[in-house]
Amino acid sequence: MLELDKIEAGYGSVQILNGVSLKVARGQIVALLGGNGTGKSTLLKTISGLVKPWRGSVRFDGEPIDGLRPDRIVRRGLVQVTQGKEAYPAMTVEENLRLGGFARNDRAALKRMLERVYEYFPALRERRHQHAAVLSGGQLQMLCIGRGLMSEPKMMLLDEPSAALAPQVVLDIFRIIARICREGMTLLLVEQNVRMALLLAQYAYVIRDGVIHIEGPAESLIDDDNVRLSYLGGTVADRGESLTAHR
Amino acid sequence: MEYFTDLVIVGLSLGMVYGLVALGISFIYSGLDIVHFAHGEIYMLGAFIGVTVLKYTGLSYPLLILVSMVLTGLIGVAIERLFYRRLTRQGGGISFAGMGIIIAGFGISMVLQNIAFLIWSARAVPLPVSFGMPIELGNITLPKSYLWIVGITLILMLGLHQFLRRTRLGLAVRAVAYNKDIAYLMGINVPLMISVLFGIGCALAAAAGVLIGPINYVEVLMGTGILIKAFAAAVVGGFGNLPGAVLGGLLVGVTESLGAGYLSGNYKDIYAFFLLIAVLMVRPSGILGVNIRVKA
Repeated sequence: MLELDKIEAGYGSVQILNGVSLKVARGQIVALLGGNGTGKSTLLKTISGLVKPWRGSVRFDGEPIDGLRPDRIVRRGLVQVTQGKEAYPAMTVEENLRLGGFARNDRAALKRMLERVYEYFPALRERRHQHAAVLSGGQLQMLCIGRGLMSEPKMMLLDEPSAALAPQVVLDIFRIIARICREGMTLLLVEQNVRMALLLAQYAYVIRDGVIHIEGPAESLIDDDNVRLSYLGGTVADRGESLTAHR
Repeated sequence: MEYFTDLVIVGLSLGMVYGLVALGISFIYSGLDIVHFAHGEIYMLGAFIGVTVLKYTGLSYPLLILVSMVLTGLIGVAIERLFYRRLTRQGGGISFAGMGIIIAGFGISMVLQNIAFLIWSARAVPLPVSFGMPIELGNITLPKSYLWIVGITLILMLGLHQFLRRTRLGLAVRAVAYNKDIAYLMGINVPLMISVLFGIGCALAAAAGVLIGPINYVEVLMGTGILIKAFAAAVVGGFGNLPGAVLGGLLVGVTESLGAGYLSGNYKDIYAFFLLIAVLMVRPSGILGVNIRVKA
């Protein structure tokens, strides 16, 4: 469904991505792992059109989408779900959700999707008329996922849904992500929470220095020390993690 | 006492006009980070377009305002596409590129003045709309042109508010004003919304121009004076804050009118700045401004 071929991109004269190729098949959950500054966010922005690739191609549903304006890509059914902190704080929960459905002109479909989002996230229904600024971190993340669902996309790009959340909240959110996928969504999941992402995904890529460093089926990567090393880059935290893993 | 009331009424209606121009400046700044220094000339163009349209069509006053708003708004859209769009790509506001935008604004304002000079010449012309006899309220005589100013301005302000709060398009404009990248990810046609935003800002100035036309004469240099007062109004209210711009406009108008009435009419244009300095000393971010800017 989504196919990246040797993508190179960056900002100004600084190259961040040095030839990334990856594939996501229809109905699959694919995880993209990597530490800070490895090019994960740039890759997402390149797919969603906010950053234009210098070289290489992005194909979605068999058609090239590189160089298209981001709103056109959304209209084709590929939506990037932002991190929770990027909800519109001065707008109400419902206004945020309506914005998510902006690409759709169909009122009935919007109403139906609004109901579905509230069904996934009952907490949002309770606070529908409150400003997003007063939501908790977990609720903001739910709001952004809901906002992404509003246009009924064929595929979603999830940008670190677990960022800065308590473990219990992360679990809740991942349960719902899993449910959304069971109901037919294709997903590219960008995560720092390696274990959670690998448990959910079928296939995973590890990105480092702007290239795909390791790839493979998720279950084979869970116990792979290379993933941890590549992800954490051999820091103190890495050694701590290894100790507990091998005890 | 009657004298005082008269002055306040005149001040409030002039203040409404300042508020309308300030609203456009604040709206454009809050959405696009463009400090629009050519806004006075847009106001002037709006007034001249009003004069010309009236001469050839004889439209009724409300329709005249509407036509001038639409035409001037479209001119604004063209200006933004041709000049500002190239500059805002590099960032705006207080960034380095923001300086370029300010210089471009002054350049555009000179170009527009000269174009207007070539078309309409340097003569001051009236905007001949007859409103009928003034209204007598007790001892106060109220020219109807002031009522038009107050009425139309209130309608435009409420209309803008409702547009931003209640409509799908308004929601998208607010989204673009807050953050363009996120707006893109919502599937919003961001370049189009930028045009809508800039066009509305310019249309508000055009309305102000047509509203002031029947009271003052319409002339090529009328934009410079109002630009400075509208800026004072926007800053007094809190730059980028929409209700603040209107409040600032009213305060500037009343201050000016009272100053001219009780102190000296010769220094009429100075009083707004006394107010500006006083407000900046007490509240540097303006009356309704906040230190951390929350847009949209």
